[in-house]
Formats: sequence, structure tokens, C-alpha cells
Amino acid sequence: MKKSLVLSAVAATAIAFSALSAYAKDVKIGLSNGWVGSEWRTQMIDEAKAAAEKWKEKGINVTVEVQSANVDVPGQIAHVRNFISEGVDAIIINPNSPTAFDPVFAQAKEAGILVIATDAEVSSPDALYVGIDQKAWGAAGAEWLAKTLNGKGNVVAINGVAGHPANEMRVAGYKEVFAKHPDIKLVNEVNANWDQAQGQQAMQNLLATYPDINGVWVQDGMAAGAWKSIMDAGKTGSIAATGEIRKDFIDIWTKDKLNSGASVNPPGVMASALNVAVLMLQGKELKEPATAGQYKNAMYLPIPFIDGSNLADAAKALEGKPGYYSYTSSFSIEDAEKLFK
Amino acid sequence: MTMASAPARPQSRSALKRTFERYPFLPALIILVVLIVLNGWFQPRSLSFVGITGLIKTYLALMLLAVAQTYVIYAGDIDLSAGAIVSLVNVVVVGFMAQWGGDGLTILAALGLGLATGLACGLVNGIVVAALRLQAIVATFATSIFFTGLALYIQPVAGTPAPTLFWRTYGGRILDIPFVFYVVVAFAILLVVLVRTRLTLRLLAVGDGQQEAFQSGLPVTAVRIGGYALCGVFAALAAFCITGDTASGDPLVGGKMTLFSIAAVVLGGSALAGGYGTVVGSVIGALIIGFINSLVFFVGTPSEWQNLVQGLAILLALMAGVLVGRGARA
Repeated sequence: MKKSLVLSAVAATAIAFSALSAYAKDVKIGLSNGWVGSEWRTQMIDEAKAAAEKWKEKGINVTVEVQSANVDVPGQIAHVRNFISEGVDAIIINPNSPTAFDPVFAQAKEAGILVIATDAEVSSPDALYVGIDQKAWGAAGAEWLAKTLNGKGNVVAINGVAGHPANEMRVAGYKEVFAKHPDIKLVNEVNANWDQAQGQQAMQNLLATYPDINGVWVQDGMAAGAWKSIMDAGKTGSIAATGEIRKDFIDIWTKDKLNSGASVNPPGVMASALNVAVLMLQGKELKEPATAGQYKNAMYLPIPFIDGSNLADAAKALEGKPGYYSYTSSFSIEDAEKLFK
Repeated sequence: MTMASAPARPQSRSALKRTFERYPFLPALIILVVLIVLNGWFQPRSLSFVGITGLIKTYLALMLLAVAQTYVIYAGDIDLSAGAIVSLVNVVVVGFMAQWGGDGLTILAALGLGLATGLACGLVNGIVVAALRLQAIVATFATSIFFTGLALYIQPVAGTPAPTLFWRTYGGRILDIPFVFYVVVAFAILLVVLVRTRLTLRLLAVGDGQQEAFQSGLPVTAVRIGGYALCGVFAALAAFCITGDTASGDPLVGGKMTLFSIAAVVLGGSALAGGYGTVVGSVIGALIIGFINSLVFFVGTPSEWQNLVQGLAILLALMAGVLVGRGARA
């Protein structure tokens, strides 16, 4: 008994030691989320916390502090200041504004804190963006639609909130793709404010106005609403429309054999950002500096795509999860390591 | 009833009572000190120089807006459009700075224009409420929608950056002292001057009883319009701080601040019914809200409870303030 204890202690020390040689320092990371209106955000934070937990296996303690509440921009700036006072090593933020954080991020950098934005890009030169390229996200759905329609047909688009940066980038993405297919006619574009019920309503109106629609480009939760209208109208077989990534929808998609394809904005983006942050805090250097995007500070993550070919896999990944759970993916520690020298 | 048995007590009690009557913000000050101690206890660094500077930068706008609200509440009115004025001034200032280029002179000109915008909004409110005699709570709710609409018309999407010179100055240091401290000093001087003006006294008199004020010859309508005008100007100053801190325009930036500003006034010991209160109390009230917000985080509240605990804490502070004040005055 005693012997085995000693042995295991030795083994533990050895493991700890070998881990120590690769990773030196424990880190404290602050997560800030300024809007708590959807399950996606909750899942985002939960996955980031789980990712932090995983670092224990590497012998490094990643402590996570979370500030998540419905706040306005000054309120989220207060989040950042609290983290500065707390003395965190890094801040990962899903920002409420693209530009308003420039001054406070400058202060954070002065205090030696690494700042990473995720899910929405920021203009600050003192921060890094780790997340998906919203424009490419929009383009991926449009590419699928164009291919499915064999480059020909009448298409409508249902968008989120007009003027919202992510929405504008997604719109730019599909416009660019459709412009490359002269036989695809974009007959109308409407806004349904990322609201499932409004998406359903908008689709009903569109179906009534344009009986000859072949394709629909629609984002996020609105897709479930739009598909409801399509199914109610009995047009499931004749219309191809983009979909979304929550389990409820994936189940309907599988059951009713919808002709759909969905770009994935995985809630795991914050977990990926966290893994990148921890590696950077270990003093590792990126192979390629993050210089993408309109603000030249972005590192874009791959955007998974679900269509008929891998729908079964997605459904399997979501098995046993609650209906609101989103299909997700994130950089594991090993994936993230590959980005570094 | 205890007069005979303890002759010394009523005297000391009435001294205490007088102190509390003279300084109605004392309960709030006690709460503030408690909160500061708690913040320091849970996160010593929050009371460091950098921590305090950050706190002032974050809540200076709310302090100014609480003061703005106080002048209206003095007269027994209320301004539900204060936050919308902040948003409007914010986009006006940023818009003009962006259009005219970002050198020192144009920045000052844009700020002047911002002050004028705030003043104009205040005058509109004053005329609607005092001259046209609409209910303040409903009328200013309507103007808040109108001002927000204007802001959205000027700048439909958040994001136009403010000139670097502007926010670097606001966030920077002069002679090794953070710029915001100069702002605080200027703000304090301004408040002291305003306390000594006739307008403050007249606003309080109107709030104490409009009828009596009118009968004793005060121009009640003009005084109330004056209160709203002052509110508009201070809302504009609050917008400057927001602009300095966020370095960009956002047509919805101030919306959520309105109710916080009213809460700050009440926390500071002023009466919503008017006629009684201090601007110092409102500044303290704004600081209480700020310290509560940071304390909720520093004690390690789980993220899903943060909104709830924050609301409860503000409620507690309100109750404590009322109880302490009542106890001392009784």
C-alpha cells in the first residue's frame, strides 16, 4: 500500500516535471460577455471554461474569471477595467462594439495584459481577433446554395439586424458569391433581426410574393423559422435553403430530409481563443502573425459546414444534448499548438 | 417621553438630526465608505491609483448625468430623456469631429456644438413640460424616443471613431496626473459655483411647493425650464466623458444610463418629489452604483447571478439609505 503510494507520488512528480519543461507558468484569464440573450453565448462561456480545465492535464493551472451580464458599452468597459484591477494575464472578450474599446484595450496592454476579441472583430491595434471570418461564413452558405441550384434560380435573403457589423459582413459575403453566378437572381432581401418568429413571418411573406423562389439564404435561428414556413407551404421538396446549427433544427433536418446546408459559427470560438491565449502567455510565437481582416489584427478560425454529406455526423455529435445546444467545434490545445513556432 | 429621565439624549439626538438634515447625503456617504472598504478587502488593487483612475473614468459620465438629473428632480420634475441626450450629443460630437478633421480647434468647436445640442434638448424638454404643462414622466419619455431617433438618423450604426488626439488626451496624463482628475476638479468647482446660484435655490423652492412658489412671486415656468436646460448641459458634459472613454460614436450608448442616473439621485438622499436634495449626494449615488458593480465581480459572483446580485445590492443600498436617514431624523 505504502509502496504504491510512494510510487504514484514519484510518477506524479515525474509527470508534473515533464509538463513543467514544456509549460512554465500558471495563468489567470478574464472572460467578458456583454449580452446574455441566447443559449449560444452561455454555451460559448461553458466551453471556454471546459477548455481552461483541460490545461490541468498539461500541468498548468488556467484560472478563469467570468463577467457576463447584459451591459451597455460603458458597462463592458467596466468589465475590462475590473479585469485590469484583478491583475489577469489575458482578457478574452465578446465585444458589444467594434470601436469603443480602443482606449481601454490600450490601457490593458499598458498593464501587460493580452487582449483577444472573439466572435466580433475590434478595431483596436492593441488586441487580437480570434474567431471566424463573418464574411466567409456568409459566403460559404451562398456557395452551397449556388452549387445546389446548379448556378441558376431565384433566391431571397433573410438577414439579421441592419447595420450590425457581423450582419453587414455576412451580407457582403453572399453578395460577392451571387455576383459570380449571373443566372442566380437575388429577388429580395429582408431583415428579420435574428429572431426566429420574425424569420418565419418574413419567409411567409416572401413565399406569398414570389411563388417561384428556388433558394433562400438565411442566417442562424431565423433559418428554423423560415424552414417552418417552407414546410407549412408544402415546398420542402422544391426549395433549397440554408439552415442553422442547433440540435432542434438538425433533428428536423434529418427527419424531413430538408435540402439544406449550414455554415457553422461554433460557440467554441471562445475556447479556441483561450487556447491561443494560454500559448501566447507561455511566450510562444505565432508562425504567422495575426494580420487578417479589415483591422489587420485577425486570426481566422476554420468554418465547419454541415450539408447532406455530413449531416449524420453532426446529428451524432449532438446526441443526448438539449434542443438548444449548438453544433460546435474548437481548437484543441494540440490544434492550437500547431499555429505556434 | 424620555425627556425627564435622560435630558442629555434629546440634545445629542437633535444635533445628529440637524447634521443629517443639513447633509442629506450622509447615509449615502456611509454606504459608499462601506463599499469602498469591501472593494479594498476583496480586491486590494481596485483601490490602487490605477484602479481608482479607472473607476473614475468609467463612472464620471454617470456622475455628471446624475447631477444633470438632480437639477430637474429638485423642482419635482423628472427627465427620462437624459440618456438619449447623451447618445445624441455623442454622435453629434463624433460626427463633426470626423467631418472637420481631428485637430485641436475643430475638436473644441465640436464640443461647443455638443453643448449647444444638449442645451437645445434641455430647452425642448423644459418647454414641453413646464410651458405646455405635459406630465414630465410621459413627455420626457416621448422626447427620449425622439432624441434617440435623431441620433440614429445622424449615425445609424455604432462605430465612427473619434480623433485620436481627443481620446488620447482624455485617457492620458498631464504633468503625470491623469486628465480625468483635472476634469473632476473642474467639475467640483462648477458644482460649488452652481450651488451658490439663485437658480438652485429657486428650483428647490419650486419643488417644495409650486403653488407657494408661484404665489410668492417666483417665475415657476422659467425656473423649471432652467432646470431642464441645466440638465441638458450636464448631459452633454456626460456625453463628452463617454466619448473620451469609448473613442467612438454610438447612437444608443446612453440609453441605459437614464434610470441609473435617477437611481443615483435617490441613493444620494434627494427626494424624488422635489424640494430636497444635494448634487453631492447624486455624485455619491453614482459612485455607489459603480462600486456595487465592481464589488459584485470582485466577490466572485458566478456569471449567471451577476445581474441578479447587482440589482439586489442596489435595492439594499436604497433601503439602507432610507432607513439610516429616517432613523437619524426621527
